[in-house]
Amino acid sequence: MAKHSPVIGRYVTIDVDGYEYKVFYLRNGQGIPLVCQHTAGCHNHQWRGLLEDEEITKHYDVIAYDLARHGKSDPPLNKEWWKEEYRLTASHYMNFIVALCDALELDKPIFMGSSFGGNVALQLALHHPDRFRAVIPVEAAEHAPGFFLDWWRHPHANAAQVCASGVWDLMAPQSPDMDRWLTWHYYTQGSEVFKGDLFFYSIDHDLRGKLGNIDTRKCPVIMMTGTYDYLTPPEATENTARQIPGGIYIEMEDIGHFPMSENYPLFAVYLKEALRIIETRT
Amino acid sequence: MVMGVRDWAIRFGETSDRDQTIGAMARYYTCTFLWDMGTQKVIVEMVDGKVYRINTDPQPLDAYDFALRASPATWREFAKPIPDPMYHGIWAASFRRDLKIEGNILVMMQNLRNFTVQFELLRKVGVPV
Repeated sequence: MAKHSPVIGRYVTIDVDGYEYKVFYLRNGQGIPLVCQHTAGCHNHQWRGLLEDEEITKHYDVIAYDLARHGKSDPPLNKEWWKEEYRLTASHYMNFIVALCDALELDKPIFMGSSFGGNVALQLALHHPDRFRAVIPVEAAEHAPGFFLDWWRHPHANAAQVCASGVWDLMAPQSPDMDRWLTWHYYTQGSEVFKGDLFFYSIDHDLRGKLGNIDTRKCPVIMMTGTYDYLTPPEATENTARQIPGGIYIEMEDIGHFPMSENYPLFAVYLKEALRIIETRT
Repeated sequence: MVMGVRDWAIRFGETSDRDQTIGAMARYYTCTFLWDMGTQKVIVEMVDGKVYRINTDPQPLDAYDFALRASPATWREFAKPIPDPMYHGIWAASFRRDLKIEGNILVMMQNLRNFTVQFELLRKVGVPV
């Protein structure tokens, strides 16, 4: 008897600022759409645990997509993308997410992302509060400088290993070996885009002085960060949440920057609390 | 009681040479690095994934490719079986604590997979400070 997963993968083609993207997404569940963004230089397998979590999928329609140029979502099909350096901007990133939600005809989804996905969640709460039921920025902050580095695609080093081992200690030592090495494995696959993603993460994303404009009555913001995250340490997230009127911060013990991927059972405890809070507020 | 540096060198060398994760991709893991622990320094010379030599008394002109420098207290944190947050890796400690990464960092990046694995062996072996 074959062991099939209930998770289904599909492609959908969207237009974003004149760029044609054929987007791959994984989906399972029913109910409120829960749209999930992977971390920079990675892909949607980071959400493998959530996609098969029956406690969540019986109430939530979980959709984990690959951002263009990641995983099975190709670079734009109508551009000679190899002739220019890839640098992701906040505007294009948000337009991508909104266009994808439109294409899938999602009614007020919850948006959740980690790291650069968490930072864009903050951007969405500020710029598109009417489009989302709530956002869950994971491992996010108002500003996250310091990671837009040439080492990620240096021609004299093995970029796959530099990216994968360069993010190794973003994970907690307590997280299971298998899950940490799977995350390492995913990170060997995205080295050509990692630095371009981090242009958004460390450079273009800067909400300092703007967080007070987020309206959490329209779009609640539940932030969560792990204690082993050195890049966006807990105090950075807490400080961000404190500046958002009505913003909520949940600290996650003994986990790092890739919580959904490095230790899903532990992450799920905190995620269920976040979803419970959203349920009471929407 | 602090472990003597020569005993440490033997234990570290044996543990590293036996490590299966390094062994799985050992070829070309060839580089020389200094670990400056404040009161104690060592230069580890790697050849094709094996510890070729550990210099436990480095002199001023002894060569190496790159170096990690931090206080003895930080190295003791590195060596805990489960380090506290921000002491759990070279990136974490260089971003948030007193670890300095110096020298030819390109060589470190070229060998980052195995060097990262090897650094974490301190959690099993301990440190001589």
